[in-house]
Amino acid sequence: MAAVEKRRPAVAPAANFTDSGRPAGPRAAATAESEEDFLRQVGVTEMLRAALLKVLEARPEEPIAFLAHYFENMGLRSPANGGAGEPPGQLLLQQQRLGRALWHLRLAHHSQRTAFNNNVGVAYECLSASGRKKKPGLDGRTYSELLKRICRDGEAPEEVVAPLLHKIQCRDHEAVPLGVFRAGMLTCFVLLEFVARAGALYQLLEDPALAVADRRVGQAVLDTLEGALRASDEAAAPACFLEAGSRLGPDSLALAMDRALVARRPSSPMTREEFLEKAAALFIAKVKPVG
Amino acid sequence: MLSPERLALPDYEYLAQRHVLTYMEDAVCQLLENKEDISQYGIARFFTEYFNSVCQGTHILFREFSFIQATPHNRASFLRAFWRCFRTVGKNGDLLTMREYHCLLQLLCPDFPLELTQKAARIVLMDDAMDCLMSFSDFLFAFQIQFYYSEFLESVAAIYQDLLAGKNPNTVIVPTSSSGQHRQRPTVGEASVLEGVEASLFYQCLENLCDRHKYSCPPPALVKEVLSNVQRLTFYGFLVALSKHHGINQALGALPDKGDLMHDPATDEELERLLAQIPGLVNSATANPEASCLPSRTPPRVGSPWRPLHHARKLDAESDGSTEETDESET
Repeated sequence: MAAVEKRRPAVAPAANFTDSGRPAGPRAAATAESEEDFLRQVGVTEMLRAALLKVLEARPEEPIAFLAHYFENMGLRSPANGGAGEPPGQLLLQQQRLGRALWHLRLAHHSQRTAFNNNVGVAYECLSASGRKKKPGLDGRTYSELLKRICRDGEAPEEVVAPLLHKIQCRDHEAVPLGVFRAGMLTCFVLLEFVARAGALYQLLEDPALAVADRRVGQAVLDTLEGALRASDEAAAPACFLEAGSRLGPDSLALAMDRALVARRPSSPMTREEFLEKAAALFIAKVKPVG
Repeated sequence: MLSPERLALPDYEYLAQRHVLTYMEDAVCQLLENKEDISQYGIARFFTEYFNSVCQGTHILFREFSFIQATPHNRASFLRAFWRCFRTVGKNGDLLTMREYHCLLQLLCPDFPLELTQKAARIVLMDDAMDCLMSFSDFLFAFQIQFYYSEFLESVAAIYQDLLAGKNPNTVIVPTSSSGQHRQRPTVGEASVLEGVEASLFYQCLENLCDRHKYSCPPPALVKEVLSNVQRLTFYGFLVALSKHHGINQALGALPDKGDLMHDPATDEELERLLAQIPGLVNSATANPEASCLPSRTPPRVGSPWRPLHHARKLDAESDGSTEETDESET
């Protein structure tokens, strides 16, 4: 870093995040001041501050790519918003809002709960900003559309996620409070990850030549999963995680699969779609419906 | 998918580890130098282009040396740019002197220090043969080690000198004076007969160095591999072994394997397409596919380094399409 600090002494510290002392004569100080003023005036300081905060909040693996993406998105939406041209149509405006909300929602993984919750809050504000004629607030129609978009972009098969959407959707004209919105978003993202993991699991069970899995094995895995999930109904929070973990451990899973193979039931194939649907159904059964 | 280590770091360490502030600061400097760009395209667009070029590794072209060596990513990008630009030298089988390679480096980085080029050449050539010709690949791989691990190698040189002089740099860790003396006497005796230092002792010191080194150093396991093959070795013997080790090249991730050095179909295609657009060149290019028979000692055409910076950057942005897929690995 020391070498960086020495770079180009003529250019003074640009923004206020460089607090290291650089040699600065009176003239350099004057240019520094004018440059700082310039940066503040055109909004660079504020823009970088916001970007840096986002980086720290999301802690991406590759912050530079994250920043490129961040500014790209900002550049895309600013001309349409603040341009002097004619105002965009109601429908276009709605699409823009959805896009912006989605972008905020994806900035941080849902396991980074603080960052995710912040982003959900921002997305909620984006969506409930008042249009020209509408009252402020988020209606069920927009909320449902957002849920659909997330599921579609998550590449989960439609029939797999449809039951979830049915459960957590609101009526079109209903106002959606932030709490419901947050829970809905979180559930949706968790389900998508669950389905992705289930897909990976299926790939392990799959016979590469036939591209299908043995029904007996597949069912055994699903039953074990169901057993583990049911365990969480009976015990208190920390204990049930341990219980579920042990039931899903390699030992008990292998045992179940082994037992299934030995059992004298006829073998029949199980497709990926069926497996995913059944696995997702186990998850969705635990989701509390809205209202 | 998630790395808990990254999430557990304090903010400042996370930013420092990934050099976020270095690039943000540089972005602002670039912006101040190109104020007319923002009025035309907007600030967000400017930053988008800047950070995209950092990802693609084209941000180091024609920049000052202090910036080029500021981060490991910049160093790897520079190595890659050097390879891509002057690969044809190797393809044509031309042998160049140290000074000629230095000129090529200066085409990409006008204030590139001669000292560094000399150090790299010294890995390939003996001290008294510094004017000799070198092949492109020999120079490139030696240069890679010298440039990328420059601070590490300086520490290694110091350790090597200490070992040669019979001092064990690890004496702080093994303080018993009797064992220290015991080791010293035979080393001094042997040094007059044998060249270099004992490999296992050398490794112990280097392992220690890798642990506490704040700059990048080669993977310790590979250093061990290099040193476990021999009984004794000299400093330059060690550097040669490092530069020829394909595992270290892979770990560094800037250059392809030695065998694939001349092979870059994407760039070749792009070059051919560009050449086809220049009417005067078409004949010579198509009539002479065996370019190796041409004694092309003139350095290949690149944008002149004294061109305004923002100009050069726009040029890069245009040709980025072809380089994208090969550049991903290093970011």
